[in-house]
Amino acid sequence: MDAAPPDLNAAFRARGYVAGEALGTALRLVTLLGRPLLLEGPAGVGKTEAAKTLADVLGTRLIRLQCYEGLDAQAALYEWNYARQLLHLRRAEATGREPSDAELYGENFLMRRPLLQAISEDVPPVLLIDEVDRADDAFEAFLLELLAEWQVTVPELGTITARTRPHVVLTSNRARELSDALRRRCLYHWVEYPSRAQELEIVRARLPEVTAALAAGVTRAVHALRELPLGKPPGVAETLDWARALSVLGYETLDAHALHTTLGAVLKLREDAQLAAPLLERQLARPE
Amino acid sequence: MTGPAPLSPEAVPALVLRLAARLRTRHGFLIGPGEVGDALRALGVVDLGRVREVRAALRAVLCASRAELRVFDAEFAAVFLPGDLPPPELPTLPSAAPGVPEPGPAQPQPGAPRPEPAQEEGAPAPPRDLPEPPPVAADDAMPGAAGAPQLGPDAEQDGPPAPVQFARLSDQPGAGGEGALPPDDLGTLLRAAGAFLAALRLAPRHRRVPQARGRVLDLRRTLRAAARTGGDPARLRWLGRPRTQARVLIVLDGSRSMGRDAALLLRFAQALHLRARRVEVYVFSTDLVRLTPRLRGAAPGAPLALPQEAGAWGGGTRIGQSLLRLARDERARVTPDTALLILSDGLDTGDPDLVRRAMRDLAARAGLVVWLSPLAGLPGYRPVQRAVAAALPHLDALLPASGLADLLALPAALRRR
Repeated sequence: MDAAPPDLNAAFRARGYVAGEALGTALRLVTLLGRPLLLEGPAGVGKTEAAKTLADVLGTRLIRLQCYEGLDAQAALYEWNYARQLLHLRRAEATGREPSDAELYGENFLMRRPLLQAISEDVPPVLLIDEVDRADDAFEAFLLELLAEWQVTVPELGTITARTRPHVVLTSNRARELSDALRRRCLYHWVEYPSRAQELEIVRARLPEVTAALAAGVTRAVHALRELPLGKPPGVAETLDWARALSVLGYETLDAHALHTTLGAVLKLREDAQLAAPLLERQLARPE
Repeated sequence: MTGPAPLSPEAVPALVLRLAARLRTRHGFLIGPGEVGDALRALGVVDLGRVREVRAALRAVLCASRAELRVFDAEFAAVFLPGDLPPPELPTLPSAAPGVPEPGPAQPQPGAPRPEPAQEEGAPAPPRDLPEPPPVAADDAMPGAAGAPQLGPDAEQDGPPAPVQFARLSDQPGAGGEGALPPDDLGTLLRAAGAFLAALRLAPRHRRVPQARGRVLDLRRTLRAAARTGGDPARLRWLGRPRTQARVLIVLDGSRSMGRDAALLLRFAQALHLRARRVEVYVFSTDLVRLTPRLRGAAPGAPLALPQEAGAWGGGTRIGQSLLRLARDERARVTPDTALLILSDGLDTGDPDLVRRAMRDLAARAGLVVWLSPLAGLPGYRPVQRAVAAALPHLDALLPASGLADLLALPAALRRR
């Protein structure tokens, strides 16, 4: 069943997310084929935002698992509420009753973490497994089983099978090479920087308070920056941050003064700023 | 097939099968029956009359990495749009056999500046406005349909097709072709590769990680596990510093000045790949191209198909930009377990600052960085080439690699360092 609206791109656009046609098709296939989607691309191009917007468009819950080094399967799945179990035990002892194992390891004391939550929902949620490249190989191997079988085993409760299959979106900034096995289980899409026209549209949609001239100037400057060999090229998030910062400071156009006072909002390395500032100034001096 | 044909539902399975087979056999895509089935299911839910939608759906299902996307586009065009993008004819790769002249201009003398146009080299280009993307057609029907427009560049993510980039990057470019491992030196190269891999020793990781057995008790995990057994530490958890097998990442300079040395080093890279699967190979001239899938698909000693991109082989040199691209776009492949081998003569008139920045980044991420230069074995050689001089502070070793003898001597040189 197609849970997504027929024109997914228009629905995304209405929420301020300008998705290209290829990304729109990939996200539609997530809902139609029930396969996870792996989104890769430079930082700040809107990978996480795509999952959030998908949840919004589908009118379902977003469940997010932020990956980090050392994340293990149990932390992502479930934990027992030891403090409550202990209190329950003490209370039972005080009344001279001996609680059973089934009582102690029941649903009352189970704390569902994102992955278990995602497969326990009646309505398929959007499960965002964010920055999966930060997790260790062992966790990635565990994900393989979950994404293939849609069931997990809790030793005390047995095997829990998904009520409904969540729409899964994985994101990666390529801090670590993902295994071929995980890639094969996923649809794949590389999220590229948007074109200048698309980025201008994003700025106008997200920040209606920013003047047209300022939005155009910021977009033009950011695209010029991405042409340079920078250590950290600005993403769309930086474009929005920069435009917002300039707007809050009262600028209506991007001039040399505005550039110098706010360049830190878009370039986060000193050497990048040193390289880019004179070139941007020359660009600003040129007519549009 | 002689020309574009309308995409009918009946023709879809055969076309998808042909595309999958080409991607699998020619380019090493990991595509099995499951992926083919999903591709057919995906095409069952998209509009077959819209080429972009068909392409986007197949890309999402059949590709698994960014490097595969461009290959996919070329093969998709060949299978689904055979009339639109004719496959380029490939000139022959410079042979490693003695006496075969190099393509293009004569090889410069060692140390002499490369006769490249200045604007081609690594100096950062002044910022320029990107051209506005072409207007997206309201409906891009498949070729053959009435009023169907031609497939234009994807406004969202696709750069210009390869032939356009070919002309923009290099004025006298080479192209892909075939390189063969001559049977007489395959054995020697394999011996050199095996000895080199055995000599690779990376320092143990600084950070301790959980291990089944170790020297240090992992108190945090042990206590956490003890909570499940009522506070009794029934299972001890350990930490250790694993000494892992090194991954090898080879970056080969395929520019004109490397000439025959590039062919030898490419064969050495292939021999390394035959000896260990944890070997990644990139080649660059003016652009960086990943070669690993082609090596993976090539039989030992069989001719090796090189990328059909001038930026990778036989053009000018952009060491700094290529290394910077490696550091930025392929950083996932450069880890503390990685031994990075850069095979280049260092003859580059580009901005050495780019090389410096890239090497600083790469050296910080890699476990070992070795520069192999065909010039380094010459009597009286000094590392004064601007790219080599810029990279030198970040190198673990600068070693000669101008012939089989140098390659055989690499293990001893690595142990001495």
